[in-house]
Amino acid sequence: MKPRLLVVLAVIVAAAVLVSLTQLGAQTVRVRVTTTTSLYATGLLDYLEDQFRKQHPNVEIDFIAVGSGEALRRAEMGDACMVFVHAPSLEKQYMARGAIAEGRIFAYNYFIIAGPPSDPARIKGEDDPVDAFEKIYEAGEEGRALFVSRGDNSGTHVKELSLWEAAGLDPRGRPWYLETGSGMGNTLLVANERGAYVLTDIGTYLKFRKDGKIPNLDVMVQGGDELLNIYSVYLVPTCSGEEAKYARMFADFVAGEAQSLIGSYKVDVYGQPLFYPAQGKLDWLAEKWQELAGG
Amino acid sequence: MAGEALEIAARSLAISGTATLLSSAWSVVLAYLLARSPRASRLLVPFLEALVGIPTVLVGLLLYLLLSSQGPLGMLRLLYTPRAIVVGQAILITPLITSVAYRVLTHSWSMYGELALALGAAERQAARLVFSESLPGLAAAVVMGFSRAFGELGVALMVGGNIRGYTRVITTAIALEVSRGEFGLALSLGAMLVAILVLVSLTLRFLGRLREQ
Amino acid sequence: MSAAIELRGVWHMYPGSGRWALRDVSLEVAEGRILAVVGPNGSGKTTLLKIAGTLYRPTRGTLRLWGSDFWAVDGDERLRLRRLVVYVHEKPVLVRGTALHNVAYGLLLRGAPPEEALSRARRVLERMGAGELAGRERGQLSAGEAQLISILRAVAAEPRVLLLDEPTAHLDLEKRRRLASLIRELRGRGMGVVVATHDYLLARSIADEVVVVEEGRLKARGPPGEVLEV
Ligand SMILES: Nc1ncnc2c1ncn2[C@@H]1O[C@H](COP(=O)(O)OP(=O)(O)OP(=O)(O)O)[C@@H](O)[C@H]1O
Ligand SMILES: [Mg+2]
Repeated sequence: MKPRLLVVLAVIVAAAVLVSLTQLGAQTVRVRVTTTTSLYATGLLDYLEDQFRKQHPNVEIDFIAVGSGEALRRAEMGDACMVFVHAPSLEKQYMARGAIAEGRIFAYNYFIIAGPPSDPARIKGEDDPVDAFEKIYEAGEEGRALFVSRGDNSGTHVKELSLWEAAGLDPRGRPWYLETGSGMGNTLLVANERGAYVLTDIGTYLKFRKDGKIPNLDVMVQGGDELLNIYSVYLVPTCSGEEAKYARMFADFVAGEAQSLIGSYKVDVYGQPLFYPAQGKLDWLAEKWQELAGG
Repeated sequence: MAGEALEIAARSLAISGTATLLSSAWSVVLAYLLARSPRASRLLVPFLEALVGIPTVLVGLLLYLLLSSQGPLGMLRLLYTPRAIVVGQAILITPLITSVAYRVLTHSWSMYGELALALGAAERQAARLVFSESLPGLAAAVVMGFSRAFGELGVALMVGGNIRGYTRVITTAIALEVSRGEFGLALSLGAMLVAILVLVSLTLRFLGRLREQ
Repeated sequence: MSAAIELRGVWHMYPGSGRWALRDVSLEVAEGRILAVVGPNGSGKTTLLKIAGTLYRPTRGTLRLWGSDFWAVDGDERLRLRRLVVYVHEKPVLVRGTALHNVAYGLLLRGAPPEEALSRARRVLERMGAGELAGRERGQLSAGEAQLISILRAVAAEPRVLLLDEPTAHLDLEKRRRLASLIRELRGRGMGVVVATHDYLLARSIADEVVVVEEGRLKARGPPGEVLEV
């Protein structure tokens, strides 16, 4: 066969395949949403989408799960129409730049500090997480304790860094401070293996704990406004058309109608809620959000 | 759950299968052109062979930067669609299919191409014989390409986004289940992935056997 | 009368080898005659035959087929000339299919109707007493049988000049005798035959003329009785 003929043939095949692919999924509206991995991993967002689609079957909410920082960055790039995040200080920066807007708090829960049952840093029952971090730092320097960090610019990581900052300490680079650079689940497994302390969201912790994957990690510090974890949803101003319209509808749904669903989500599984609805506590949450965002 | 797993498997098969067909179309042509021009191949083939192991996330990242709304190809609106994964995987496996097909075709040309010309074949008849005798080798190249596309994670995650019911493929589903702590589920998905790969390879082998007879 | 094949000042170097495989070789091959090419391993016999058979383009020098500069013409004319000369590899290569299909393959390439090609192939096989090989697949043939099939495939294509590279390497004595008589018969029909071989018995018994190749050069040329000293 003549080479030129083959080239033409290959181009035709390639073009045909691409064209046929473009025809797929023409009539449904797809709403691109970036979100944090830990939130997505709980399954709450898929569950809310399923409920939403009962009223709007022609809409697909496309969740793209990445770290909070990445979720906001991609939104700014114009690659998402809506963002679900829990990193107030980052959110504030992106809002100031106009990359995201119309923020609404829709849920909250609490981070917890988990650690080995032997509790070498003696933090169990501590009220103030900042004090607990100070003790971990001290114990770490004395070679008695380890701390595992996400190190991935996720909401949980941002939270952890703000606690160190509040304590006036910088653990980065210390030999007892391990950065996994990976998701919450993997970070918990590392902490469990190494007998280390770790800051974690409640959802991932309960799931791994219930499955018996982290027997070596007990809850050390919980509750208190310092560990408050606030989830917000934002719209992206550069997004337009049908996609923007349905994005707003979904945000309304999550912040409104769906609030009771959020409070009861998986209570039957874990015996306690993973999330608390924001409705009714918005003023308090807004105030706390400002504090967390840094002024 | 089982229904969803099947749906994910079917989607993976469609996406990676399309990517493999697409990539095979241009890779085999490229391999043939290289096999027929020693000078170009001396320059290009080592380059292609080196790229066989290119990290999948790197291809994913480059493609993401291209396809992002602010990227040069943003207006195609391909990001976070199955098409984006198809394109990414097709690019990813091009060096693999091309370099294996190149080996197969050069070897085949030195035997059968030369034979055909010796017997008085026209260039086109020689090429036809070379391709016909190369089919088992080319099929192996295609199976390898499919296997790499089917088992890769980086491209599917970066430009597909692991969107439930849309761009979630077996590998991204495994990654998600691992992050959720659902190791059992992740393992069954992995077993399914391997089973499909073996099945595809055996099917092609069987078809080759039929053809020999 | 111009020669059927004429090499003039041919030099050849395989790409990347850095050595001349042929140095300044000039040679004519006529129809109706048998030429034996002898010489040690690696002296350049195969290279010479493949250049004569249009498979390699010489690095330097010209190849004329029936007066035309082969590498200067193209398209249909080149194909027409190529079909007049058939080279048989020293390592037999068979295409997928039966021995019969293989013997018919050269004719099929030339556009002969399949039935005609197959019946002619069968006659050629039977002429060599190899009729019973007809139905065998290529994987089911011994080395000698495969070599015989690859020679007969070229014979069946009826070229004007046949180039045989080491044709008796795998053949038993009986087959060698039959092959020698077949080659003489072909000469009788006006075909030119060039045989590169280490088989001096064969060269002595059939060749009209012998050339000796050494280190890529033609060292001697003449009747077998003179050139092939024991
Ligand atoms: N494909 C190739 N690439 C590089 N060098 C080659 C190639 N084929 C042959 N040569 C070299 O060219 C020279 C001539 O080889 P050729 O095959 O013509 O020898 P020959 O006379 O046929 O030997 P033999 O009796 O072993 O068949 C040798 O030095 C060989 O090493
Ligand atoms: Mg030789």
